[in-house]
Amino acid sequence: MIRTAIKGLAANRVRMTLTGLSIVLGVAFVSGSFVFTDTINARFESLFTDVYAGVDATVRPDEATSAPGEAYLNANLLTEVRQVEGVEVAVGSVGGFAQMIDSKGKPIGGQGPPTLGFSWVDEPALNSFTISEDNGRAPTAAGEVAIDVATAESQDLAVGDEIDIQTIGGIDTFIIVGLASFGSEDNLAGATLSAFVLEQAQVLFDLEGKLSAIDVLAVDGVETDALVAEISTVLPGTAEVVTGEQQTQEQLDQVTEGLGFLGTALLAFAGIAVFVGAFVIQNTFRITVAQRVRELALLRAIGATGSQVTVLVLIEAAILAVVASAVGVLAGIGVAELIKMAMNAAGLGIPDGPLTIEARTIIVSMAVGISVTLFAALLPARRASSIPPVAAMSATGARTTPKSLRTRAIVGSTLTAAGTVAMTFGLLLENGASLPLVAAGAVGLFMGMSTLAPLAAGPVARLLSAPMRGITGKLAKENTIRQPRRTASTASALMIGVALVAFTSIFAASIKASVTDTLEGSFPADLAFASTNFSVGVSPVAVEELAAQEEFSVVSAVSAGSFEIEDVELKVVGVDPSTVSRVYDLGPSIELSELGDDLLVQEDVLVSNGWSIGDMITVDYPGSVSDSVEIVGTFTDATFANYVIAEEVFFENIGDDQIVIAFARLDEGVTLEDGRAAADAALSEFANVDVNTKSDQIAQAEAQVDQLVALFTGLLSLALVIALLGIANTLALSIVERTREIGLLRAVGMTRHQVRQMVRWEALIIAVFGALLGILIGSAIGFGVVTSLADDGLGSFALPAGQLVIWLVVAAVAGLIASLGPARKAARLDVLKAISYE
Amino acid sequence: MTLAPERVRVEVAARMKGGVKVYGSGGTEVRALDGVDIGFEQGHFTAIMGPSGSGKSTLLHTLAGLDSLDGGSVYIGDVELGSLNDRKLTMLRRERLGFIFQAFNLIPTLSAEENITLPLSIAGVKPDAEWFGTVVDMLALEDRLHHRPTELSGGEQQRVAAARALVSRPEIIFADEPSGNLDSKSGTELLEFMRTAVRELGQTIVMVTHDPLAASYADRVVFLADGKVVDQMDDPTPASVIDRTKILGG
Ligand SMILES: Nc1ncnc2c1ncn2[C@@H]1O[C@H](COP(=O)(O)OP(=O)(O)O)[C@@H](O)[C@H]1O
Ligand SMILES: [Mg+2]
Repeated sequence: MIRTAIKGLAANRVRMTLTGLSIVLGVAFVSGSFVFTDTINARFESLFTDVYAGVDATVRPDEATSAPGEAYLNANLLTEVRQVEGVEVAVGSVGGFAQMIDSKGKPIGGQGPPTLGFSWVDEPALNSFTISEDNGRAPTAAGEVAIDVATAESQDLAVGDEIDIQTIGGIDTFIIVGLASFGSEDNLAGATLSAFVLEQAQVLFDLEGKLSAIDVLAVDGVETDALVAEISTVLPGTAEVVTGEQQTQEQLDQVTEGLGFLGTALLAFAGIAVFVGAFVIQNTFRITVAQRVRELALLRAIGATGSQVTVLVLIEAAILAVVASAVGVLAGIGVAELIKMAMNAAGLGIPDGPLTIEARTIIVSMAVGISVTLFAALLPARRASSIPPVAAMSATGARTTPKSLRTRAIVGSTLTAAGTVAMTFGLLLENGASLPLVAAGAVGLFMGMSTLAPLAAGPVARLLSAPMRGITGKLAKENTIRQPRRTASTASALMIGVALVAFTSIFAASIKASVTDTLEGSFPADLAFASTNFSVGVSPVAVEELAAQEEFSVVSAVSAGSFEIEDVELKVVGVDPSTVSRVYDLGPSIELSELGDDLLVQEDVLVSNGWSIGDMITVDYPGSVSDSVEIVGTFTDATFANYVIAEEVFFENIGDDQIVIAFARLDEGVTLEDGRAAADAALSEFANVDVNTKSDQIAQAEAQVDQLVALFTGLLSLALVIALLGIANTLALSIVERTREIGLLRAVGMTRHQVRQMVRWEALIIAVFGALLGILIGSAIGFGVVTSLADDGLGSFALPAGQLVIWLVVAAVAGLIASLGPARKAARLDVLKAISYE
Repeated sequence: MTLAPERVRVEVAARMKGGVKVYGSGGTEVRALDGVDIGFEQGHFTAIMGPSGSGKSTLLHTLAGLDSLDGGSVYIGDVELGSLNDRKLTMLRRERLGFIFQAFNLIPTLSAEENITLPLSIAGVKPDAEWFGTVVDMLALEDRLHHRPTELSGGEQQRVAAARALVSRPEIIFADEPSGNLDSKSGTELLEFMRTAVRELGQTIVMVTHDPLAASYADRVVFLADGKVVDQMDDPTPASVIDRTKILGG
């Protein structure tokens, strides 16, 4: 049996290679995602364990019990900790925001990894950074700084150079005295690092007399657990002590959590690729079974049972699956290396070292590849078993009767409907969308649509071929109509990729439209000021500076943070009630100046919570402060948050360092240029704050969306490539089937050029059919998702017709490219062999 | 073994000079054509006979530009085929030759009418309605024009193939065992039609067959053995062909 199966595969070498490739690509993506995720975990783990090896315990503020904005230790605590029994050395340090600025005044980094500032620790065992001999020395006085080697290299900075660094207080100039490494690395996951002497760091971070942490080295022979227990006895309620290991693990988790998200996203795209691959596999096996009817019937005739024939086909699939999956796993290692290189190129430093290949990676990737292939081959294999032995005798081979149209319509519609319901349900769940449910719904929807597609294949092919001239067009049309299932299933593979790409385009266009609408509609301000740094907002000092400029009639800031209502953490913004309505339209139901100490709730949220105006509710601020507030009104615009309180209340209870954006209006007669100049002057000390006009803002938001779209589309293009392999495969197999027909056409005078043309038209019909289906489904999903997210600030549904047309054209061109090989093969066909009788 | 004397006639539709075709090499070498000199006059119906493996199909294919010779030359009219590239050969087949094969003559996705006009469609030429009518009429295919090949009987399918061969008014039609797969009644109808086409329309036909009865419809029979022309006979009858075959075969 196995030998027969191997022969079956060998007879179709090229086809099977193409099919195998569609498995390889999907599996490679799966294994690549795993290898990548495991590698970052392992690399950072070894780096962190190395670097923090010396720390036995760390004393730090207890976030839970510290008042907001007061999460620090009193410097006096250091003396007490030093006196604890078992403590050999204890060193205090501070950390905070420190943004380096390049010679052109632009902030360095900060668009992802944080910009960290900290005090240099002189005790090497407790210092995670080192400065090698030829990289200068540690800072020993105010005005000196050590920065990370990676930043120095990328900015072309050396020991002795000057650098401007912005901290919450403003910008100061420092002399670089040393270049520090983090363990063996030049940098910490892409973060920029600046180290100062403790006294200066305390000033820069506004932490005079305070510490962010105390690291402790135990006396030889003292257990860390005992040490921690001892230290905890001297700590106030607002501080806690943890072991070095625990601290390391927490830090590690923070770094890998961020990057691990990428692994999950990659796995999702791998899933899409595998799904599309399944279509290609199923189609290939169906066609090869159809082409081998006589051979399989002969096996039946000489005594093989129906299930033996099924097993034969499945063994072929299994051999293919095992080989292709194994190749895929190996290719995945290359994929992981590529992702790593891309990440490093993007500035997200991943520590050097070997890739981590876990047994799990190999097992899961192989299992996915093999099970998907077998599953996809199951239906064709089952069909093979229904071939009657008599088919061996008849010249044409028995045609398996196609499923009735009604059954097809019913099954297809049911699947489509179930998929749609699952998706809708998954999207509209109370506590945010459920990704697995949405994915399952999408799978159902795609399978349903591909079941229905053969019904549309005929009419669509007729329509599409209408402009195709001459006999080549006519033959191409007839060929696609002749096997509607084959055409439809080939097109379906493309449909999936195009649907997702189209959805991405639509979703992105809708986000852009919504952002533009919001900005145009509710943004009477002329200028906006936002931080370019992800980890730090606009300094209140900067807002004061801006307000002092006489070019502005009003400056108003928005702070964003969170509080809890009934133990649920919620986003809340603080606004200046007296000025906000002049720069931003929240759509309030009352005059904002009447807000006082109370609360505004977004109108839909008010209703869904069953509250009404005048209700008293209890809110819990960070740091265990509770307050009972009255809901005095509602508002409509949910861009920032669903809860609004007065700035003063926000500053007091949540913090004054969480301004996300500030707005300004120009005074009568001041031009935009003058306003901008005034803003630039006011913000000279705050390099991380960007000055934006309304159109800048729109452009910025759009650029961000575009970046994401480009990334998604890039990843989805893998699914498109696999679908194109499918088109090439189907065409090649159809051509083998039609050898005699093509031979006859050539004999009676069809030129090679015309034969190629015919195959190209066929590819074009299939590709455009698939792309049209995809755009249709993508638009439907897009519409559904956008409308269901209307409450979350996605107000406008936009259909980027131009982009969708471009995708259609891209699919058509890609289809043509996929047809190149088969077309050439058809044109090169040996006429004589084709027409020779037996 | 006597070679046919060269007939000196001006209107030769096709001819082969010193045709050699070798398959394989060394010990397994087969000389499918071994120095064939032959001409086909215009307006004549020639049958090529010979035992299986004697080179009949090879002769037909090389004459029709479907295969190339290893030695010698083939002329259609005064065009030497060896000098043509694939494109020119294809054009020549399309414009000047017609074909009827033993089986699989029709494109299954096209109707009978579309199959008949196929060479013209490929050339992008509109069929001459009157001529099309004449051909269809002669082959009694009016009622079958809109049927697909699978809906036609074997005899009808071969008549459609014949109509296709005729409709572009080729200089010469090549037929390889056209009645080989037909029952005797359909076979006879087809052969009679072919003879009519020669007699009344002046069509030139070269037909390969191993059936003496089929050969008797021709004006002349050429006998092939081991890749060589071994004999010829004008105005054959079934009996005379059988006699000659016996002598040659013995
Ligand atoms: N493609 C080929 N490869 C090898 N030998 C061939 C090929 N075609 C024909 N032959 C050989 O050439 C000889 C003549 O074949 P053919 O012209 O088909 O004979 P006929 O049509 O008279 O039966 C035979 O011996 C046959 O085996
Ligand atoms: Mg033959």
